[in-house]
Amino acid sequence: MQAIQSQFWNIREYLSPVLKESKFKEHGRITPEEFVAAGDFLAYKFPVWTWEKGDTSKARDYLPADKQYLLTRGVPCLRRATSLAYTDADEDAERMVSFGDSSISGGEVDEWVETHAGRKATVDSAANPGTIDDIPDLDGPQDDDNIASGIGSLSLGSGSGGGTAETPDLDDIPDMEEDDLEEGDEATAATTKPSAAVIDAGDIEVAKGNLLQVRTYDVMITYDKYYQTPRVWLIGYDENRTPLTPPQIFQDISADHAHKTVTIEQFPHSASLQAASVHPCKHASVMKKVIERMNNSVVEEQLSRRKSGGSAAAANTKEAKKKWPFTRKASGPVTDKLQNEEEEVEGMRVDFYLVVFLKFIASIVPTIEVDSTTSF
Amino acid sequence: MPIVQFAPFSSLIQPSFWHELTNLKIDVLRLSDEALPISGSYSTGKSVKDRETGQEIALGCNLSIGSESFDKGFKPSQGSIAVLGTLKNYNTIDEFKAADKTVLFNREAERIWEHTLKTRDTSLLTQFLLITFADLKKYKYYYWFAFPAFVSKPAWEIAEDGWKDASSEFSSDALISIHSHLRAHPAPLPFFLVRSDATGTTISPVEAYSTFFETTPSSSQTIAFVDPSANPANPGWPLRNLLAYLRVLYPNSTSSVRVLCWRDTDIQTTWKSRFGVVEISAAASETSSRPAAVGWEKNPQGKLGPRVADLAPMMDPERLANQAV
Repeated sequence: MQAIQSQFWNIREYLSPVLKESKFKEHGRITPEEFVAAGDFLAYKFPVWTWEKGDTSKARDYLPADKQYLLTRGVPCLRRATSLAYTDADEDAERMVSFGDSSISGGEVDEWVETHAGRKATVDSAANPGTIDDIPDLDGPQDDDNIASGIGSLSLGSGSGGGTAETPDLDDIPDMEEDDLEEGDEATAATTKPSAAVIDAGDIEVAKGNLLQVRTYDVMITYDKYYQTPRVWLIGYDENRTPLTPPQIFQDISADHAHKTVTIEQFPHSASLQAASVHPCKHASVMKKVIERMNNSVVEEQLSRRKSGGSAAAANTKEAKKKWPFTRKASGPVTDKLQNEEEEVEGMRVDFYLVVFLKFIASIVPTIEVDSTTSF
Repeated sequence: MPIVQFAPFSSLIQPSFWHELTNLKIDVLRLSDEALPISGSYSTGKSVKDRETGQEIALGCNLSIGSESFDKGFKPSQGSIAVLGTLKNYNTIDEFKAADKTVLFNREAERIWEHTLKTRDTSLLTQFLLITFADLKKYKYYYWFAFPAFVSKPAWEIAEDGWKDASSEFSSDALISIHSHLRAHPAPLPFFLVRSDATGTTISPVEAYSTFFETTPSSSQTIAFVDPSANPANPGWPLRNLLAYLRVLYPNSTSSVRVLCWRDTDIQTTWKSRFGVVEISAAASETSSRPAAVGWEKNPQGKLGPRVADLAPMMDPERLANQAV
């Protein structure tokens, strides 16, 4: 079923025309060129993001060969989204966060509601991993899971714990010598506290419930030609750097979106890789709303600055630098400083699209710190 | 004085690496279990501020490999340091278990040591070893990393001041100048030397130790390395072999070493790099025989043992189909 669906999506994407003219203010959609421009800007401003080639056989010809998708690795995720369950009591904790340059005098700065401000995590993530059911194992006999837990709980020194005959049991790796070496090595910093008893792999998360489990994510942004918006993909690792399973990934997605808009799908720039993805069907309309609001305030402000006289033109560029989010004057494919000054009011630039997009994505995956842009 | 404790590397294998290994195994390697050269990379240590408690949380000291690790012309992403490694993939779980890990490990350590003595080249100091068994039918991958590091006897000790912020030792200008020199260097430098004098602060590859520091008083000689650790009290694993390297090649001038742990990728308001003076008692023997080495990675239980990556939930078509409903 999924294969057919994916196939259908592939064909649909293949057939849909490449968006040519800029629509980002009207629809929230962007052209591939704008995606590249916005991506260049993002990668320039926040070097944690880089352009990737991906699998060359899967390259999209409407994007430059070396700019197929954006990638950032090792994005930390300190808590599970399930621990952020929203209650009435939390409403008091809301606070308005001004976005963009707070030094603007008009007071018409866009504000965002930040929820959970200063809130303690009451529901512990590990002890309460949410109600998402595990996917039933189709393999019938659970012997391969036994291997996993067997190898997980294995220790070199102890010769204990014999598995069944058909279970490959790694307990008896003859490595005593290294064991001695490492035990005696005083210059190795302890990373994890070795637990006194061998714990079953399944119990580990619970056993360390009161510690923060720092998961990390690799986040990719591709361009979806059918929806004409960027699309986000996630590959996660737990604190032991083991890849996360889909149910585990869903713990990091806000309950409104898990299983509805977030699914596990074939990553388009790899032959075989699967990743969790936020489905882009609503991206355009959400982006449109956000951009509209921001644009209004930006336009207003540009107008007011225009009124204050042409002599301010020189100062204007200086200002523009300070307020880079909306009127960047640095180089870039779609940026032209001269034009910038001649033009009537242009409002928000498309370069800023992905920065806004990340803020929107951050609401879907609240605990994954994808939005590194807040530091500005 | 407390002993210097180094934060070991933590391996991070991107799932794309297993996909690539699977393809390679089926189409190219087949039943061959020859050792393959692969590449990995690490970057400066990251830490994240917990928005709720305000604490700075150090993330792992990661060495990561991915699908591009098999590429001959491997180029790490901007700001990352490439490391070379050896991959040995076994055909059966029994061979994986029965492999003589001590021999494999010592062979790697020997290679690093001889290369270092012969060429004075630092590129192999972070060489790693990876042994794997891929259970292709069940999408389970068993693996074990080793990051050989030479054990110093007696151990390095950290001077009274301990590890402190680099900005307390270097002026902001000096750090900015190090940063821009590092950026401007054609190939990313995992290890480098820092010299401060009247003309400013300059850096150089470690290979130029004797010439670069020729006229520099020892109080303004600093060795530095790109530090994958973000832990304030523990420098990262690469420093270990760098110290061993300096000790064996320049025994006369390295009983006390000023170390800069470079942890800044961008110029920000606060510098994250650390500085410390490490010392070794002069009694240390000056032989060039290979010291013992350690470095097998521990599994999540903190024991020396292999790890397993279970990719069935992300690779098994049957389970994915189930997921999609």
